[in-house]
Amino acid sequence: MVEPISNGDVVEVGLKPPLIKAPIYTIKEMITHRFLIRNLVVREVRGKYRNAVLGYTWTFIEPALLALVYYFLFYMLAGNPDELYAMWVLIGIIIWGCFGKSLQATVSSLTRNKNTIHLVYFPRIVFPMTSVMANVVITMMSCFVIVPIMIIFDLPLTIHVLLIPASVFMAGFLATGVGILLAPLNCIYRDIEHLVRFIVRAGFFVSPVMWTYEMALDRGFFGEVVVYNPMLTPITLARHGLEGHATTLPTSIILWSLGFGCIMWLLGSIAFERYERRAVKYL
Amino acid sequence: MMRSVIFLENVTLHFPKIKGFVSLFVDLIKKRKTHFTALKGVNLEIKAGEVFGLIGKNGSGKSTILRVISGIYPPDEGTCKVAGKISLLAGLGTGFSAHQTGIENAILYGSILGHNEQEMTEKLPEILEFSELGDFINEPIRTYSAGMKARLGLAVASAIRPDILLIDEVLGVGDPQFREKSKARILDLVAETGTVVIVSHSFGLMKEICNRVGVVHKGELVMIGTPEEAISSYYEITE
Repeated sequence: MVEPISNGDVVEVGLKPPLIKAPIYTIKEMITHRFLIRNLVVREVRGKYRNAVLGYTWTFIEPALLALVYYFLFYMLAGNPDELYAMWVLIGIIIWGCFGKSLQATVSSLTRNKNTIHLVYFPRIVFPMTSVMANVVITMMSCFVIVPIMIIFDLPLTIHVLLIPASVFMAGFLATGVGILLAPLNCIYRDIEHLVRFIVRAGFFVSPVMWTYEMALDRGFFGEVVVYNPMLTPITLARHGLEGHATTLPTSIILWSLGFGCIMWLLGSIAFERYERRAVKYL
Repeated sequence: MMRSVIFLENVTLHFPKIKGFVSLFVDLIKKRKTHFTALKGVNLEIKAGEVFGLIGKNGSGKSTILRVISGIYPPDEGTCKVAGKISLLAGLGTGFSAHQTGIENAILYGSILGHNEQEMTEKLPEILEFSELGDFINEPIRTYSAGMKARLGLAVASAIRPDILLIDEVLGVGDPQFREKSKARILDLVAETGTVVIVSHSFGLMKEICNRVGVVHKGELVMIGTPEEAISSYYEITE
């Protein structure tokens, strides 16, 4: 028989630090489990484009085709849009898609991984975070579609192009907070998943995907209301980055959106840590 | 005197019943129980270096006890304390991704089981050798037979060296030769690991390796004794 254990502290299973520390503590957990997260992200990204002849090119074919459809739709309804309109819609679809897909994937992350949850224990925050990161990676790949667009429309390549990856991260961040807030609830009532799918569809029209912030400004009351949509900032920032100039978005709107993301992260991580253990019993 | 490394004190665990709004409301009015009790006041203390077996009918709560120890379900009442790093071997190959190669899946599964990058790089040659997959290791796992997947799963899972090992019915996969080999591997692992808790229906194995065996019946740990005592008491209880 072997010598008994070296590190001999008796600890209670599943003790967690106080909930108030959850926002920081979950980040530490993610750093500890970075190898696992990386492997899971690779699994999700690979799995998405399996058995496709075009493989990863689908990441930008899909938004490009969608943008084309919306361009014709808008052309028929409104007539004679700005020549850059198709491009605005395209970047809008990409950024909104990142948010929508991340949100849906996070909300369903615990239910989708129920087999793993029943058999292995590791911090469950890993599941929603993997979903967000996989979607951010896929969106980053689809951003390469802007290279031909910049050449066709002769857009200047400036330092402001970095606003595009920044907006992708921001969209992912906004989705994270809301997603982890709802993920435990979705274990109990799958209705949440259906509700979120509807919200993502509806949000598409309420957010500046088919229209732009500048268009909204001309609409009086509407222009005053839309600034409260946290997704206005990432989409508009990405557009300004693509046009190659510093953003004209007021700082207060950007701060509101970032603040919204941070508050959702605080609430979401606390709620997740508080309820995930009870919630997984429903799986 | 060996010290104890696993303590379960009066552990009770409930599982909620999933219901629609209407029946939930009806239950609330009629004050019916809305949960199912999986474990009732389980007390268990396991010493360092001990091989402890758990037997019982299907659904009696054996696996649930292992899951409480490994932290998957925290107890609703009572406490569960452990000393040292725990690993639960259950459902070999959890999280395998059909579209990645054997090597990639080995690394993925290893990281799911709690290895970091360095440990995984060190153990990979040993894992590949034990799995006996040859050139298949570079093929996507969807081309594997069930036995091959199980072999890879066992190879990865048995490469871990935790302080406390929990085994939940992982024997009996693959062809007879591999089954012998996997049994030998598990026995090695049991011998190398300090403390083992094993759930199995294979009473022969229990008699062979366990120091003590507990009988679980309807969520209660009804008796603990030598393997022989426990097995005869199991037959009495379940008659």
